[in-house]
Amino acid sequence: MSGDSAVATAVFGGFMVLTVALGLLAVRGRGAGGGITEWSVGGRSLGTVMIWVLMAGEGYTSFSYLGAAGWGYNFGAPVLYVIAYLSCGYAIGYVVGPTLWSYAREHGLVSITDMVAHRYGRPWLGALVAVLATVCLLPYIQLQITGMGVVVSTISYGAISLDWAYFIAFAVTTAFVVVSGLRGSAWVSVLKDVLVIGTLAFLAVYVPVHYFDGYGPFLDRLVAEKPQWLTLSGHGGSGLGGTWFATTSFLNSLTVVIFPTTVAGYLGARSADALRRNAVLLPFYNVLLFVPMLLGLAALFVVPGLTGAGSNLALFKLVVDSLPAWLVGLVGVAAALSSIVPMAVFMLVIGTMWGRSVLGLVPALHGRPRRQRFAAQTVVVAAGTLALALTYAAPNTLVRLSLISYEGMAQLVPMILLGLVWRKLTLWGALSGLAVGGVLVCALVFNGHDPLWGVNAGALALGANLVVALAVSLLGPKPADDRPDAEVLAHDPPPADPAVSGRA
Amino acid sequence: MLKRPALLWLLLPYVLYLGALPLVDRVHPTVLGLPFLFFWLLLATLLTPAGVHLARRSDRKRGRA
Repeated sequence: MSGDSAVATAVFGGFMVLTVALGLLAVRGRGAGGGITEWSVGGRSLGTVMIWVLMAGEGYTSFSYLGAAGWGYNFGAPVLYVIAYLSCGYAIGYVVGPTLWSYAREHGLVSITDMVAHRYGRPWLGALVAVLATVCLLPYIQLQITGMGVVVSTISYGAISLDWAYFIAFAVTTAFVVVSGLRGSAWVSVLKDVLVIGTLAFLAVYVPVHYFDGYGPFLDRLVAEKPQWLTLSGHGGSGLGGTWFATTSFLNSLTVVIFPTTVAGYLGARSADALRRNAVLLPFYNVLLFVPMLLGLAALFVVPGLTGAGSNLALFKLVVDSLPAWLVGLVGVAAALSSIVPMAVFMLVIGTMWGRSVLGLVPALHGRPRRQRFAAQTVVVAAGTLALALTYAAPNTLVRLSLISYEGMAQLVPMILLGLVWRKLTLWGALSGLAVGGVLVCALVFNGHDPLWGVNAGALALGANLVVALAVSLLGPKPADDRPDAEVLAHDPPPADPAVSGRA
Repeated sequence: MLKRPALLWLLLPYVLYLGALPLVDRVHPTVLGLPFLFFWLLLATLLTPAGVHLARRSDRKRGRA
């Protein structure tokens, strides 16, 4: 092991220990007590700052470092869709967040699967959605594992092999999330945000100065030599034009607000108003996303000729090439935590959905929050192990996987968002829509028809989903459900209403 | 929604990022050296919190009234 790699690896190792310690510290004094609500949604007690940190932490994943820079490098402008959909999603989260929050609080729910089970009055529907959502989330965990593995291996100058790096990602995350749940994830997010904001702000200034004598010359050169990268549909005949950009951003903005991990953040909030304040502040975080994209473009000049999965390393090639070892280690830690935090929440959500909506149906667990919590923790370990095994056995390129996850999850939008505000959407309507949308997404994506006619395949599927859901709801059978609307539907709690925001 | 018209501010990012796209998908003129599309999207990213803030401000006024 050379000197550089020893330094970078030591910095990295130190911070990993700190991460686990922080996660464990988060629940000190709360012990192993509390049921699934404490573990899954932090006892619904997180304030604005923690929610901001946590949700920013979920949004800013290893994709931001690897895929975003890689897309910037390969295609250019199309990658900006990430910023577009996050901004739009955070904005409508102003309404959706408090609505879901108050619904869950009123009825004692801890996940989206809980919500659909309650809304449609069918526990098995919650179990079904939990299984489908898990299928969509598992590739995401794998994505974080591979993302972190690549980063760790690169910043250790190859001293830590990919396989070991994957294992470290899995072990660190599982260790603290099993013990500390959502609260621990929020605490680790604080460390992560400090490092991410610090290192990216530094890189944003340093890289252009180091390689191009400043922003002016860098941007001038970019405009003069690489104009193809600077508008849609980007460089290299990607087919990712304006229509694709708009439909993808629109679809993802709807999906991100019901994404199980986002919802976990919503439900962790102390009050509806904490979420509203958060919706104002969160979009600022997206400014940071411009940095890896610009650095991906800068890499075009510095390390030309990266192809395929190698282009995902565009940013780190610059980092390793231009910085001293301890700083390389620090950037690596920031990127690694950007895998760990979202991965922790993904695993937590899978555990929660199964603990409550699938295994919670088992009589021995029904209505027993502590046993459900234990079941959930067991599922976390199982899900993590499965994702790790998939990583070794079936590795894949980063971005495609996340698109399948998103387009699949998008098919839950009518069942959840529309269902919670519109009573006439029936169980069979929502289910048929989901089935049609889900099959269509798989058919299009796996046969290489995404985008189709320039339109995001998931958006087409969502259209079909919605039409079928409406048609079946209005024309099909109407299940008997004599609960009053107030019991079944969700509403945005009135602002600053002490009866809602102050209730214990 | 109709009772809280200020919630329309939440659609601001959709207009800026998606609606305006055909008009802003261009390299020139550059602003502060930034290609125009990048400049526009950066502007939209800074204006989005302002839009959400306006929705919230109106809600808070109603809450006090």
